Amino acid sequence: MNLKQVFKKTWPGQETRDVEETLRPEVPVGIMKKCNHCRAAVMDEEVKEHHYICPKCHKYFRMPAYARIRSLADKDTFEEWDQGMTGRNPMNYARYERKLDALREKTGLDEAVVTGKARIMGHETVLCVMDSRFLMASMGSVVGEKIARAAERALEQRLPVVIFSCSGGARMQEGIVSLMQMVKTSAALKKHSEAGLLYISVLTDPVTGGVTASFAMQGDIILSEPGALVGFAGPRVIEQTIGQKLPAGFQTAEYLLEHGFIDAVVERESMRETLAFLLAVHEDKGRNRAAEERFSGSGTETSGMEDAETGGNLRSRQEHADTGGILRSEQEYAETGGALRDGRKYAETGGVLPDEQKYAELGEILPDEQKYADAGAILRDGREYGETGEIPPDGQEHVQTEAQDQEYELSGEMRDAWDRVQTARDRNRPSGQDFIDNLFTDFMEFHGDRCLGDDRALVGGVAYFMERPVTALAQIKGNTLKEQKQRHFGMTMPEGYRKALRLMLQAEKFRRPVICFVDTPGAFCGVEAEEHGQGEAIARNLYEMADLKTPVLAILIGEGGSGGALALAVANEVWMLENAVYSILSPEGFASILWKDSKRAGEAARIMGLTAPELKKMGIVERVLPEPEKLTKENMMEVCGSLRTGIEDFLGRYASLSGRELAELRYRRFRKM
Amino acid sequence: MLKKVLIANRGEIAVRIIRALREMGIQSVAVYSTADAGALHVQLADQAVCIGEAPARDSYLNMENIISATMVTGADAIHPGFGFLSENHRFAELCEKCNIIFIGPPSGVIEKMGNKQKARETMKEAGIPVIPGSPEPLNDVEEARRQAQEIGYPVMIKAVLGGGGKGIRVAGTPEEFEAAFLAARAEAQASFGDGNMYLERFLEHPRHIEVQILADSQGHVIHLGERDCSIQRNHQKLIEESPCAAVDQELRENIGRMAVRAARAAGYVSAGTVEFLMMPDGTFYFMEMNTRIQVEHPVTEWVTGLDLIKAQIRIAMGQPLTVRQSDVKVRGHAIECRINAEDPERGFRPCPGTIRNLYLPGGCGVRVDTAAYSGSEIPPWYDSMIVKLIVHGEDRREAVARMRCALGEVVIEGVQTNADFLYEIINHPDFQAGRTDNTFIERVMEDIHESETGV
Repeated sequence: MNLKQVFKKTWPGQETRDVEETLRPEVPVGIMKKCNHCRAAVMDEEVKEHHYICPKCHKYFRMPAYARIRSLADKDTFEEWDQGMTGRNPMNYARYERKLDALREKTGLDEAVVTGKARIMGHETVLCVMDSRFLMASMGSVVGEKIARAAERALEQRLPVVIFSCSGGARMQEGIVSLMQMVKTSAALKKHSEAGLLYISVLTDPVTGGVTASFAMQGDIILSEPGALVGFAGPRVIEQTIGQKLPAGFQTAEYLLEHGFIDAVVERESMRETLAFLLAVHEDKGRNRAAEERFSGSGTETSGMEDAETGGNLRSRQEHADTGGILRSEQEYAETGGALRDGRKYAETGGVLPDEQKYAELGEILPDEQKYADAGAILRDGREYGETGEIPPDGQEHVQTEAQDQEYELSGEMRDAWDRVQTARDRNRPSGQDFIDNLFTDFMEFHGDRCLGDDRALVGGVAYFMERPVTALAQIKGNTLKEQKQRHFGMTMPEGYRKALRLMLQAEKFRRPVICFVDTPGAFCGVEAEEHGQGEAIARNLYEMADLKTPVLAILIGEGGSGGALALAVANEVWMLENAVYSILSPEGFASILWKDSKRAGEAARIMGLTAPELKKMGIVERVLPEPEKLTKENMMEVCGSLRTGIEDFLGRYASLSGRELAELRYRRFRKM
Repeated sequence: MLKKVLIANRGEIAVRIIRALREMGIQSVAVYSTADAGALHVQLADQAVCIGEAPARDSYLNMENIISATMVTGADAIHPGFGFLSENHRFAELCEKCNIIFIGPPSGVIEKMGNKQKARETMKEAGIPVIPGSPEPLNDVEEARRQAQEIGYPVMIKAVLGGGGKGIRVAGTPEEFEAAFLAARAEAQASFGDGNMYLERFLEHPRHIEVQILADSQGHVIHLGERDCSIQRNHQKLIEESPCAAVDQELRENIGRMAVRAARAAGYVSAGTVEFLMMPDGTFYFMEMNTRIQVEHPVTEWVTGLDLIKAQIRIAMGQPLTVRQSDVKVRGHAIECRINAEDPERGFRPCPGTIRNLYLPGGCGVRVDTAAYSGSEIPPWYDSMIVKLIVHGEDRREAVARMRCALGEVVIEGVQTNADFLYEIINHPDFQAGRTDNTFIERVMEDIHESETGV
């Protein structure tokens, strides 16, 4: 019913109009602005009060530097550095100075970056924030200088650096001088990094050109705001230069995340908390630095182990021995050492471990005692060495095997190997993520290998284990079909191994222990994996992990498929859940290679020695953790309980060892095999 | 003088305002969402502007578009009605900045009265009785006990971050206090992660009494008597009347004086309402101030003979009040029923849809404020109130009888309404006798439930 024409009006002749017209000047300038994404008019004040986020479409406005600092720094804690620094006009570019003066007046900024020191939720850090209003925050000599100085001062004061990048790139008006800023900033940050200090790079819309190709991409951790444009050559340049059609979402933060270049996309509302968390995780430097100095100090005669003892981190040797794990007393070691006991047995098993004599030979690899001491290692003679459980002892009779085996016999009869294989593959078995969630708090995932992609089959990040930062890595198969596809059934890609290695090296830099949850049918096999260098990626991990100067613990929680598992298991200790398996190849593969019949997998499983009890006997793993008849997410608490105790003990035992000692112990662990 | 006013609202209140403007010779501009293209206010107004999609946040709460519509149509003022942006101080402030007359109080007053704590403090300072309570959040049981003694029993213990009835306990006596406080604190800690508590005197069986006030920009403030709005379901008023059966002339003058004092303390300008909780013995406490015209304003209009919307507009134009307090006489008795498109059989769930057929009563002493017509749509996006039925009688008895007759004539087809439920309430002996308080509906609903289940 249209009554409009029926009703008598106050004033006839006016038409109903839809509003889509521009605002009349009665609205004061600056009260409203238009969102570039949804085109809606929005209240300026509301936008400012909500982190410069459009209240309508929730897309981000670019944020002025000081507003950003206010939103991050604790009140009145920002101390600005190099305020008022201005540059020259090296190329005598026409009207450049005048342009800069006009911008200074308009924006209230001196230059395109504001640097200084602040506290973020109590955590002190150097903070640099770029401001796009100033010549698109392009990097000229002043930007380069301020960033380099900030990094240098951070080094002097041993503070982390957080840089919020936003830039069109190197500043054209300053020509080659701008280009050099890329190196200047990089070099300063490298020095800062070499001192073991943290640099967090936060990308905000947009980051391109010479800033992407320098400090923005050099963070230990690279975060980005959602939707930020990040790239080297801008999209228009690419299209115009080579006429390539660009894929959807090209060069957005999300695109980069998928392609492995950033650790995480963080919403603006939670940026402050995220930074505070990351700063806190990396703040525990006091003790570690002391440890570092102890071992790198010149001519230190004290053995690290003794140091550790006096430091209270390690219990008495005897106690220590009692705690189980790899550092047992000589005797215990002998008992658990499995097959490799004396020269004869050694010969029989075809293993690698020598008798005492051979050990002596092994010892030659290590330089003479003095050198060894110089190297910062601790173990001076065979006896001491033996006491820590590292030296393969001489032929002790294997008398207490049963007692030692008790641990895995708790759950009753020995299960059939093939049965265990199927249990290990059970879809309802808890995943690495479940273990991470149960054992750690505040896990924050870091993505990407900074090269090709982000492999979802391997999850890694930082977390707290009982208030102590750790790096956690887990191979994950996925539960639903969709998730399984995303994670290609837990078969790790080269990108996954490279991400793992990146995070392990990061852990090494920040002296965080690494805890790996291994669960994979094997490394992914396929064209893409080969093209990306699967073999090289695994090889690189073995190579680098062998020498990693931080404690590494690997826990096989399901399938330990071949090299795909080994690339996460070059650890100081390797533990297994009772029904996990670990083998050179899947039983199916084994059967089909040796007997040309993959159906004989069950038979193969029985002779492959892939079960936890067998592997423990062989000395391939140190510990077997009992599990219930059918381990599920619901009943995993008990297993997590023993893991928690175990990890606590592991970290306690290795805490005071130097990086070199840790690497050395790992070396010997595998050297004997 | 105003030439053109934009109404930033919909439904019957928009219609009510358009009519007042038309009587005054002021042009009206309706705004509407895409869901309201056929709504009565759109057709009745001199001009209409679509301001966005159906969800209120995109249209009737979309400040930017409403301001744009004002600019585009060249309106000089905005009447916000009730609900939506009517008590949004930012919107009022925005109008002020844009030189648009906001027909309501200054933004600063809206802000101050919108903040419960600030409003309470303002009133306390002005010597207006407020519900006794703890000034600061409490955590310690001993300190709380001491304050509870000061406040007086029974005392209500409420979580600062409360909600959904969690973290609330009532202690009737000092003996019960510790257990109640600890239980409430534990519940608050578990539910909201915060164990900070407030104490407040627990009021049993209060009536919801509110006083209409008018204040002009010259500093004149008058009150127009009280309304009793105790008939509420889930804090939604259903039936309002004026005067209140339990208020005599002396109490009326007293509570009216307090309302005027409250308005002055707030620096109020325009039409407003001061809400009180009144105990059976006639003591009353300030609850809050509503800085807008209210749904139930017609009952006051009828007993005082004043047009509140026009008064609001005149005040906004800077004109002084034309009546003094001594001119205000409360004559007869008025009752309003809110007819909502909702289904009492299904937990009062809103029932949007199309009104197929509509017959509404009229005659002596009956007033209908509505935007509904045969064929009109009730969109699911907004409030479900569709008709306000108001009656006036020489006394309460006549008014109640008239309301019963009027409600009995209401025919609304196409959507479920609560008209029959209202009819039952009007016929309830307690309502007829004026024995009502805030828990009245709860009791009636229990009665209905029992009679239906045969308990």
